[in-house]
Amino acid sequence: MEGASTPVPLHSQKKTMTAYELRRRVKSEYMRLRQLKRFRRADEVKSMFNTNRQKIMERTDILNQEWKTRRIQPIISVLTLPVVCVQCTVDSGFSEFSKQVIPLKTLNAVASVPVMYSWSPLQQNFMVEDETVLHNIPYMGDEILDQDGTFIEELIKNYDGKVHGDRECGFINDEIFVELVSALTQYSDNEDDDEEEEQDFKVDKMELCDGKEHPEDPRKDPLISRTNNDSTKKFPSDKIFEAISSMFPDKGSTEELKEKYKELTEQQLPGALPPECTPNIDGPNARSVQREQSLHSFHTLFCRRCFKYDCFLHPFHATPNTYKRKNMENLVDSKPCGIDCYMYLVQVSSHVTQPSFSFIQFHFLNFHSFVLVFIMFAEGNSRCQTPVKMKLTCDPEAVDWSGAEASLFRVLIGTYYDNYCAIARLIGTKTCRQVYEFRVKESSIIARAPAEDEDTPPRKKKRKHRLWATHCRKIQLKKDGSSNHVYNYQPCDHPRQPCDSSCPCVTAQNFCEKFCQCSSECQNRFPGCRCKAQCNTKQCPCYLAVRECDPDLCLTCGAAEHWDSKNVSCKNCSIQRGAKKHLLLAPSDVAGWGIFIKEPVQKNEFISEYCGEIISQDEADRRGKVYDKYMCSFLFNLNNDFVVDATRKGNKIRFANHSVNPNCYAKVMMVNGDHRIGIFAKRAIQTGEELFFDYRSVTRERLHNTRFILFIHIKHIMHDTGRLQSHILIG
Amino acid sequence: MPGKASRLDCSSFSCLYPELSHSGRIMSGASCKANGAVYPASSVMMNSVKKPKMEQIQADHELFLQAFEKPTQIYRFLRTRNLIAPIFLHRTLTFMSHRNTRTNAKRKTFKVDDMLQRVEKMKGDQESQSLSSHLQLTFTGFFHKDEKPSQNSENEQNSVSLEVLLVKVCHKKRKDVSCPIKQVPTGKKQVPLNPDSNQTKPGSYPSLLVSSNEFEPSNSHMVKSYSLLFRVSRTGRRDTNGLVNGEANENIDVTETPSRKKRSSSHREDGETTETYVAQMTVFDKNRRLQLLDGEYEVSMQGMEDNPVSKKRATWETILDGKRLPPFETFSQGPTLQFTLRWTGDASDKSTAPVAKPLATRNSDSSSPMETRTSTLRAAPVAVKDSVSTDVQMRREQVLCEPRQKLRIFYQFLYNNNTRQQTEARDDLHCPWCTLNCRKLYSLLKHLKLSHSRFIFNYVPHPKGARIDVSINECYDGSYVGNPQDIHSQPGFAFSRNGPVKRTAVTHILVCRPKRTKPSLSEFLESEDGELEQQRTYVSGHNRLYFHSDSCMPLRPQEMDIDSEDERDPEWLREKTATQLEEFTDVNEGEKEVMKLWNLHVMKHGFIADNQMNQASMLFVENCGAYIARRNLCRNFLLHLVSMHDFNLVSVATIDRAMVRLRQIQEELPAAEEEQQDQTLTMGGACNGTAVTSSGGKQGKRTKSGVTD
Repeated sequence: MEGASTPVPLHSQKKTMTAYELRRRVKSEYMRLRQLKRFRRADEVKSMFNTNRQKIMERTDILNQEWKTRRIQPIISVLTLPVVCVQCTVDSGFSEFSKQVIPLKTLNAVASVPVMYSWSPLQQNFMVEDETVLHNIPYMGDEILDQDGTFIEELIKNYDGKVHGDRECGFINDEIFVELVSALTQYSDNEDDDEEEEQDFKVDKMELCDGKEHPEDPRKDPLISRTNNDSTKKFPSDKIFEAISSMFPDKGSTEELKEKYKELTEQQLPGALPPECTPNIDGPNARSVQREQSLHSFHTLFCRRCFKYDCFLHPFHATPNTYKRKNMENLVDSKPCGIDCYMYLVQVSSHVTQPSFSFIQFHFLNFHSFVLVFIMFAEGNSRCQTPVKMKLTCDPEAVDWSGAEASLFRVLIGTYYDNYCAIARLIGTKTCRQVYEFRVKESSIIARAPAEDEDTPPRKKKRKHRLWATHCRKIQLKKDGSSNHVYNYQPCDHPRQPCDSSCPCVTAQNFCEKFCQCSSECQNRFPGCRCKAQCNTKQCPCYLAVRECDPDLCLTCGAAEHWDSKNVSCKNCSIQRGAKKHLLLAPSDVAGWGIFIKEPVQKNEFISEYCGEIISQDEADRRGKVYDKYMCSFLFNLNNDFVVDATRKGNKIRFANHSVNPNCYAKVMMVNGDHRIGIFAKRAIQTGEELFFDYRSVTRERLHNTRFILFIHIKHIMHDTGRLQSHILIG
Repeated sequence: MPGKASRLDCSSFSCLYPELSHSGRIMSGASCKANGAVYPASSVMMNSVKKPKMEQIQADHELFLQAFEKPTQIYRFLRTRNLIAPIFLHRTLTFMSHRNTRTNAKRKTFKVDDMLQRVEKMKGDQESQSLSSHLQLTFTGFFHKDEKPSQNSENEQNSVSLEVLLVKVCHKKRKDVSCPIKQVPTGKKQVPLNPDSNQTKPGSYPSLLVSSNEFEPSNSHMVKSYSLLFRVSRTGRRDTNGLVNGEANENIDVTETPSRKKRSSSHREDGETTETYVAQMTVFDKNRRLQLLDGEYEVSMQGMEDNPVSKKRATWETILDGKRLPPFETFSQGPTLQFTLRWTGDASDKSTAPVAKPLATRNSDSSSPMETRTSTLRAAPVAVKDSVSTDVQMRREQVLCEPRQKLRIFYQFLYNNNTRQQTEARDDLHCPWCTLNCRKLYSLLKHLKLSHSRFIFNYVPHPKGARIDVSINECYDGSYVGNPQDIHSQPGFAFSRNGPVKRTAVTHILVCRPKRTKPSLSEFLESEDGELEQQRTYVSGHNRLYFHSDSCMPLRPQEMDIDSEDERDPEWLREKTATQLEEFTDVNEGEKEVMKLWNLHVMKHGFIADNQMNQASMLFVENCGAYIARRNLCRNFLLHLVSMHDFNLVSVATIDRAMVRLRQIQEELPAAEEEQQDQTLTMGGACNGTAVTSSGGKQGKRTKSGVTD
């Protein structure tokens, strides 16, 4: 590595570099860097491999220890004693190595298990992006390659000829670009050193002379060198960019490259974070920033649907700005929090808002403060009394507000508004009074607490009930409409616009969910059920709409209770709660692996969710081509937009085999805004039974007319004859 | 029953199963008169029967062997193995419960202290008991059927004198040529001659006691074996019939030298005027195994004055008046002595005599040929009349197995697509393959059906006993129907061990006990419908070996209940969320840390509803509060809460409470507890999985603005 990185100085080259030479150098440098990268990568792989091996060794050790603790008799017993002791010899053929002899020990034959390609366990769907390059060229045995040589070609064509790792020529990314430029700069610097006497350089070269002295090899770490020579800021010569540009014409012109380089290097200045990045509020160099900036990361990364930051399922998150506060909480404490409470200031300054008797109470409580307050009272009385334009009633103490404290204050004032006691309590390091004083100072920039939402006047309870009734009618209508397509749900966000025909939810024939930005009284919202039963009949509107009960909407059926226990009265919330049955894996009675149930289940009982990667329909088409060739596919159509693929990630139910006479059925349900696939028992299933479902007839219930829906799945069953038979169903 | 078939079967089946041949031979001998095939060697006999049929017989025999040889050999091997290293004990099977001599009645009142007492008592008892135990012989009578009922016999003689001697054969000393023999007279009795069984009262029979002291090893000589010698002297006329009845006993002569020796000595002593009949029975053989169990015996006596047939000319036939006589005919013809044998101890203890061990049936221990003799004497009656010991259990048993009547079981072997058959008859309830004494017909059938599933057994009622049709089970596939855990959980352990081993229990709680149908022989009758289906054992439940879905390793029984692979937050996902957050370039490390913690927290608990968030936040503080305080993330945590509030997920009150709790935790935290940090880090599941180093060392590639685009 080190040897590869040391440059080969080109001292022999005394003349000015010609464009051709420079270009050649760019190429050689580029190749060197690429090689370096390859080495580094190889090393990474090696160390990764070693750590993996280490893990395996540890696991083996644990198992071995476990074996030792058990009472185990040797396999060779009186009855099965081998008749002859056969010696096993290994002859090297060289005279210096002695023959190695060891008694032959025959181990019992172990039945092999079916083939299983590795996969990652998952209990919730995981959305992945489309793959734009083919990650590996699948190998399916020589005979398939011989038979169908065109298949691989077609496959690569699907990816526009892009194959992972196939970028030896012409590939350049930002990282390599920066390295390349810095490496070339070094060369030109060296030349400068060598050719110091020669003065017929270009002007731009002359400029560079300032930075010719580098205490260390700048190529090794351009960042450090840059910091060291901050005063003598240099910029690589245009020639370098020219050369690179001519070498990689697709990467833009000389100027563009220059700009890009500038951009890239500036960003990497040490200690400097990207402009959007707020410094750590708990860190030493926390800055005083606005509320939005402090909360920006939390707001943008939080998924309101998964309650997680940067979740695996929803690539697009709505920011909370437009969310409205449902209920105005009691913001202001009625009592002062202590001796330094702002209330003493406020009360003094604004009699009008605070009843006087409370004030009288106070000085009985604390005589010492009385004196203080009295003084303040006197002072405050003489000053302005308008509460909006507050002024300090006494000389503000000279307190230092650190950046973190100031930021925190701005964050909290947006939540707590005038509750300075609470703010002070949360900040922790400032008294209530100091907070109040700071508030006064900042009053110009702080928004008032929003008034009650004028857009949606409060409604009466009765009306809500009527509304619910109409909703139920609507559901019936919707069902009769027999929509052909089921589209993915995406929370709608169209401020000041009711959910009408322009609303994406309405056009996709989805209900608005609690995640939508529309008002909670929106006509397109699903109202939830009011069941008191188990929600497993069509009496339940949720069940009828092939939705699971929403724990925030259905408050009577029990979907929002007993979070810890499995026995919930509502039977229509199993997928979201992950109330799956214990499944066991064993070689199937039909083909390959199979999945078996541990405990008996009733008819229509939920067994498991079919989890996997959520991929787009296009991606599913591309992947499906490979799976079809493998004759093994775990694709499962979810809706018009997405497909669940359990090939790489999934859960145990992926091993369920196909049967025309199955004991399970699959149903795509809307679960809190997500379509999810539930596997249910078609009949009562006994302990230890293998699970099957009909791959062809998934969820006829709602999505019957849909072309190509819910299964592009092909599952193959190995028959006794050893012949592979495939069941392909399209539409 | 056609004689030819049965004869054929005898020899051929004996070929398959030499052990069986002993009892088998005799039984068939009893059942069909025309049988001369006492030993397999008697093929000479068959030759003489009909020459032209020989080849046909041979072919038939081949077919028979083809069908039954292999399974029989397998079961024979298994039997031996089961004797050496039993996998289970037959007495634990429900249908063999009568083999279990213990009762569990005492368990209720059992105390640990009793054990010591019992041992102490036993130690004291042992001597006295062994001293006080006796061998009691009660003689029913001396029968000599061919005695012509004449007047004088009725007048002058209705009894004979019987002398019983205990013969001790001692170990040979160096100087001895042959084994020294000691004869100890135990007593003389008058035994009724040809008594009428319904006339005499049971109490009036003469009886004799032999103290067990006699069986103690004497100091002078090491005694090898003990036997009883019965000598009946009868004054008056000689037997003129010229009955040669010694064939059965001739067998003994061949095998047992001591008895011959002694008899010759007795011959010498005996007077000429009286007829003398002798017989000998072994009490303890040379391995000091008890040969005579409680029961009724009938001994065939032999006239003393007959010239012993020279060994060279000895054949296996029994000749009566120049005709061959089956061995059992001697019992109806020759003089026999009937007696009841009992081992008595104390008055309180009824049977101190060693009872037959479950597996150590005399037939099974085929080491010494003498056993053959014992069964020769009266095999079937012994088996049945074993039930002298009066137990409730025994009485119950008698109902089923028709005790008094000789139960004969005919095995009909069907082969060559059930077109051919051979018959084998047995007189006892021992399993022909593993010689297990099942003692009840039901148990026998159940045992055959369950333990020898390579065959199909069908029970057919028979006037003399039972007929069992044996055919090859074509459906038998050798598949393992046992607990699959046993195969892999203890490799090399399941089938090769030195004794019964406690297995790993798969089912911990027995939820239901299936209703057992009352034992009835009808279940073994041939069923018409779907016979093939029935032969396959249909087992529902976990009758297969399961595997871990992640590693494809077999699932061990103790892992059955843990759904280890279905956790909500698998390790890779926890790592993934951490690395994914770490990749952001525009998120500072404090934010990342809190986000990671929160994500792991949510993943672990799987929150699904908005209204869970208040609770979730409080739980978060409880679980990760210490970590947050230590890592100095309080303000970031507050930002997280405020953000949650902005999303309308938590209330202001929750923020307040959570922060108050966090402050508390912070104060409780000892100042310098840095070393504990790592512990809590790994301990708390929510904090676990922060695989990525806290300070973002690696430059990520993603930006949050890119996410929201």
